[in-house]
Amino acid sequence: MRRRSVTAVVAIAVALFLGVAVAQSTFRIAIGVDPDTLDPAQGTTTTVDNVLDYVVEPLVTIDSSGKLVPDLAKSWETSADGKTLTFHLQQGVTFQDGTAFDASAVKWNLERLLDPNVRVPRRGQLTVIDSVDAPDASTVVLHLKQPAPALVGALSQTTVGIVSPASIDKDGNSYKNIVHPVGTGPYTYTSRRKGTDVVVTKYAGYWGEKPYYDKVQFQIVPEATTRESLLLAGQVELIILPPTSDLPALQNNPRVKVLLGPSDRTIFIAINTTKPVLSDKRVRQALNYAVDKQAIIKGVLFGAAEPMDAPLAPSLFGYQSIGAYPYDPEKAKQLLADAGVAPGSLTLDMMSPTGRYVQDFPASQAIANYLRDVGIKVSVRTMDWPTYVGTILKPKDENTTQLHLLGWAPSFMDASQQMQQFDCGQSPPNGLATSFYCDQQVQSLLDSASSEVDPQKRADLYHQASQIIWNDAPWIFLWVQSFPMAYASNVTNISGLPNEKFYAVYARPAN
Amino acid sequence: MSGFLGYLVQRLIGVMVTILFVAITIFLMVRILPGDPARVIAGVLASDQDVAQIRTQLGLDKPLWTQAGIFLRDLAHGDLGTSARTSDPVTSEIMARLPYTALLAVVSLAVAIAVGLPLGALAAARAGSAADLAVSALVLFGISMPVYWLGLMLIILFSIHLRWLPAAGAGGPLAIILPAFTLAAFSVAFIARITRSSMLEVLRQDYVRTARAKGTRRRAVLWRHALRNALPPIVTIIGLQFGELLGGAILTETVFGWPGMGRLLVDSIFSRDYPMVQGLVIVFALMFALVNLAVDLLYERIDPRVRYG
Repeated sequence: MRRRSVTAVVAIAVALFLGVAVAQSTFRIAIGVDPDTLDPAQGTTTTVDNVLDYVVEPLVTIDSSGKLVPDLAKSWETSADGKTLTFHLQQGVTFQDGTAFDASAVKWNLERLLDPNVRVPRRGQLTVIDSVDAPDASTVVLHLKQPAPALVGALSQTTVGIVSPASIDKDGNSYKNIVHPVGTGPYTYTSRRKGTDVVVTKYAGYWGEKPYYDKVQFQIVPEATTRESLLLAGQVELIILPPTSDLPALQNNPRVKVLLGPSDRTIFIAINTTKPVLSDKRVRQALNYAVDKQAIIKGVLFGAAEPMDAPLAPSLFGYQSIGAYPYDPEKAKQLLADAGVAPGSLTLDMMSPTGRYVQDFPASQAIANYLRDVGIKVSVRTMDWPTYVGTILKPKDENTTQLHLLGWAPSFMDASQQMQQFDCGQSPPNGLATSFYCDQQVQSLLDSASSEVDPQKRADLYHQASQIIWNDAPWIFLWVQSFPMAYASNVTNISGLPNEKFYAVYARPAN
Repeated sequence: MSGFLGYLVQRLIGVMVTILFVAITIFLMVRILPGDPARVIAGVLASDQDVAQIRTQLGLDKPLWTQAGIFLRDLAHGDLGTSARTSDPVTSEIMARLPYTALLAVVSLAVAIAVGLPLGALAAARAGSAADLAVSALVLFGISMPVYWLGLMLIILFSIHLRWLPAAGAGGPLAIILPAFTLAAFSVAFIARITRSSMLEVLRQDYVRTARAKGTRRRAVLWRHALRNALPPIVTIIGLQFGELLGGAILTETVFGWPGMGRLLVDSIFSRDYPMVQGLVIVFALMFALVNLAVDLLYERIDPRVRYG
């Protein structure tokens, strides 16, 4: 009799345990890249940053419109001379390993980012920081070498996600390389299987609003069609970057919802302004009038973009709508004639990557066709990305490119990173301004803007520069790419951030 | 040393020499590829100083001879270096994925043999009949269907419509089924074909006619005499197929998100992760060489006329 009741108790206990274990809810997301690093400081890829955003938080972050809002810092101010930046930290925050979040932890993190012994590809934006002080537990002071109005934006990157200094010698971490990130975010890092997934678990001690799901699993699925299959089979709840050509079908499918997330990525054809004929502004403007961007967006990108109306995306600080180059092949032919280019006399070589941006190669072929329609002979070629980058980055005298497709997405929502593309000092081999565009007036406007502390004045300077750049047309201004994602209709509260991230931390079942 | 052991040692030395040549070749080949690994790893938004720093960390600013010396010295110690992309040891990255590649290769091959061998034997036994034609058609299908298309079709049927099997990943025992069958389709074709032609060759032999004349039953003739003697070329093909499957079923791994070595190799090439590419190619070459060696040794078992040493 006693043995049977013991068995019964054990059976009930097991059933309860299993019941509890089964009740753990998991939100499954399919992404396309296997994280190369879990160290926020070493990040270069937005999707990897997106995963780390669940675990670490920076001092400031952006909201859905791209505006800077408080995160671990509840407020901040800049000194009048622009060389001192003071952050006031949130109180009562603990790292996921139980240690307290305070100013000395922030100081440690910033100094680690500035340490040349640590690999930090995005360090360039932070080198203006001369030193960091922590006068008390909730105040951090940054002393700058010179005024840097864009710095606060730079601090919103996942790169500056604050990790627990105490975690640096545990779980396989080292000062130079973090493999097990410990932050202050709503989820703790649990595990990863290389090539398969990364799993995070809800952090009970999170200082902010608690998320719904107990676990989040990021499945690594390189093939876009397979990600779509996973969603349609009900095996994941959210996917990013489905095959573009399937967007209409997905939009018509009641079991899924499609979100064309905002993005700061501008796609353009960079024109090598140092080459003969292309150095004439009229020719470049002609190229802009020759291409029907709306038609390509509709027919090739299936609606996943908006035409550019300025040299930068609307979500960036410093943006202003400047104008348009509407589709006008007659005007294009007129401008070419004015510049002395007879129909059929100009042959141009266009380079395009494949699979790097949404429909990049098909769009390039469409663009080439439009150029042919106005009497320009164009040949399109493609190659793998590293070769592509190597080719377009050759210095002026060795550079053979004439037209090449490129996408540019600043890592934080400020015009300064975009304007690098029009900076005289940033052309190869010093930087990636592959049009070799250089205008003295624009340069002085950009230089003033980079140290102008007053936001309104700074925005004005960027507006003026944008006007000149738009008219000079060093690019064929194409479109601002969307960031497509799709999710199951039975979940809700999923949105996109304009830096090409999905925001699903507070996803929950739709009732 | 003489005899079987001597032969084995000889072959193993041959393998090591081959691996050395492979190592030197791949070392040079990756460095011919256009593109700067430091820039690729740093990303387009990194400043020139950061790129230069990464180049130094990767040891790519040293002269070529020095790089080669370091590479070969480490290789002699069994150290394949550190991944430029992830900063993890190449060996551990490969070991994390090797079991998945091996599993997929073994299961695919098992399926391919289980399906291909009987099909080929059937076609040979009923040569010229409708059954033979049907097998030929199946073979053509298997060789021609692109892995990409076949894999996606299977996903649509079994994952989306029937909801029986996972569409991707390696979680759970069911996950291997679709990738293995997709991959097996190609090998089935090869194995069926070589089985058919090898058996036809054997079935024409005098000793088979003698066996039949003796009154041995059809099935015994087929299995005990014909197939046994038809094995050597079939085993060769199976061995080659196994080597190829181990070589990374890249398309299958991509379509199904299977975390194997083939996908890793492609990603590493696109990232210009030199140490990773070098390490993977060496490991592939080693596996292929060892599989071939095993197949050769197997001949001794199955063909009494062959004796080594």
